Amino acid sequence: MSQVREPGFDRAVAMVLRVGAFSCFFIMLAGLIVGLFVTGRIPVQIEHAGILLMLATPVVRVIVACFLFFREKDRKYGWISLGVLVILMLSLVFGIGEH
Amino acid sequence: MLTVLLVVLGFCAGMLGALTGIGGGVLLTPILALHFGIPIRQAIGTSLVAVITTSAASSSVHLQRHTTDIRLGMTLELATSFGAAVTAYLVGYFNRNALEGLFAGFLLYSAITILSRGGKVKDADETTEFINGEAVIPPYEPERYPLGMTASLVAGALSGLLGIGGGPIKVPVMYIFMNVPLMVATATSNFMIGVTGAASAIVYYRRGDILVQYAAPLAVGVFLGSLLGARLAPRVHTRIVVYLLVAVMLYLSGHLFIHLLRGWL
Repeated sequence: MSQVREPGFDRAVAMVLRVGAFSCFFIMLAGLIVGLFVTGRIPVQIEHAGILLMLATPVVRVIVACFLFFREKDRKYGWISLGVLVILMLSLVFGIGEH
Repeated sequence: MLTVLLVVLGFCAGMLGALTGIGGGVLLTPILALHFGIPIRQAIGTSLVAVITTSAASSSVHLQRHTTDIRLGMTLELATSFGAAVTAYLVGYFNRNALEGLFAGFLLYSAITILSRGGKVKDADETTEFINGEAVIPPYEPERYPLGMTASLVAGALSGLLGIGGGPIKVPVMYIFMNVPLMVATATSNFMIGVTGAASAIVYYRRGDILVQYAAPLAVGVFLGSLLGARLAPRVHTRIVVYLLVAVMLYLSGHLFIHLLRGWL
């Protein structure tokens, strides 16, 4: 089952990662450039948005793969993707461990 | 000025990472901790953002070359992301010295491993054939999933603990024990780092351990550096770069140990 070549599938997942990485890069860069001219909260908030988008990109990648697996009737890997998504959600819910 | 310095630092780390196959996170964390006075936990969280950025950018390239095994990656991610989330959570209860000591030990271990292999980081894969510039991957079937999952759990746990990708564990396990071609193992490991990093980075973020004003310029630099590094890689004598990397790692490890000793004396 584990054949590597699935051109359409690979392309869709690659697109998610590429769009995510490039848009984060440009958002953070915009934040840095704005920071050259403006002081205060605005540039930091732009950078913050870029970082949140970066953290969300892998999550979106898992969601897209999950959707594609179920659409291809490849249920086993659909459930596996859903499992990874659940772990990511759990880390979001329980993610506070301050000493 | 600080911002420019961080962009340059990220650029160098990203470039070294792309040239040698060793992620930039290993270098960024101790530099942030030692030279920018950031507590090690925040240094780890901050450099995780750079690690995720690198993984997203480079694995989109691997995916388009169709060298990534998404099914295998997704399966092992169950273990890596679980391990990463758990240790990222536990780090909140770790004492700073213990974390610094672990990191120093890990740096020393990685540097010695690279040296003992004669400066070879990426195992040369002479068996891969290229036809019309496209890699020809022989048919294979991943084996020994229990072993692969266990190793992935360890790699994930280390990733959550130290903010690193864990490639040096996953790649050999996939290649040697799971019967996966080296090129696929490398691409798949890279692919997994994004989700593994996100599982721990979310925990670090919610704890306030990602410093936005440091993470953004670093990520911008790392992104540019790794893109350029990937282009230069075929034309640069990797061995010299690897020895440079080992020297930096040994220096940082020694510096961390001295830093720890000073704290006790």
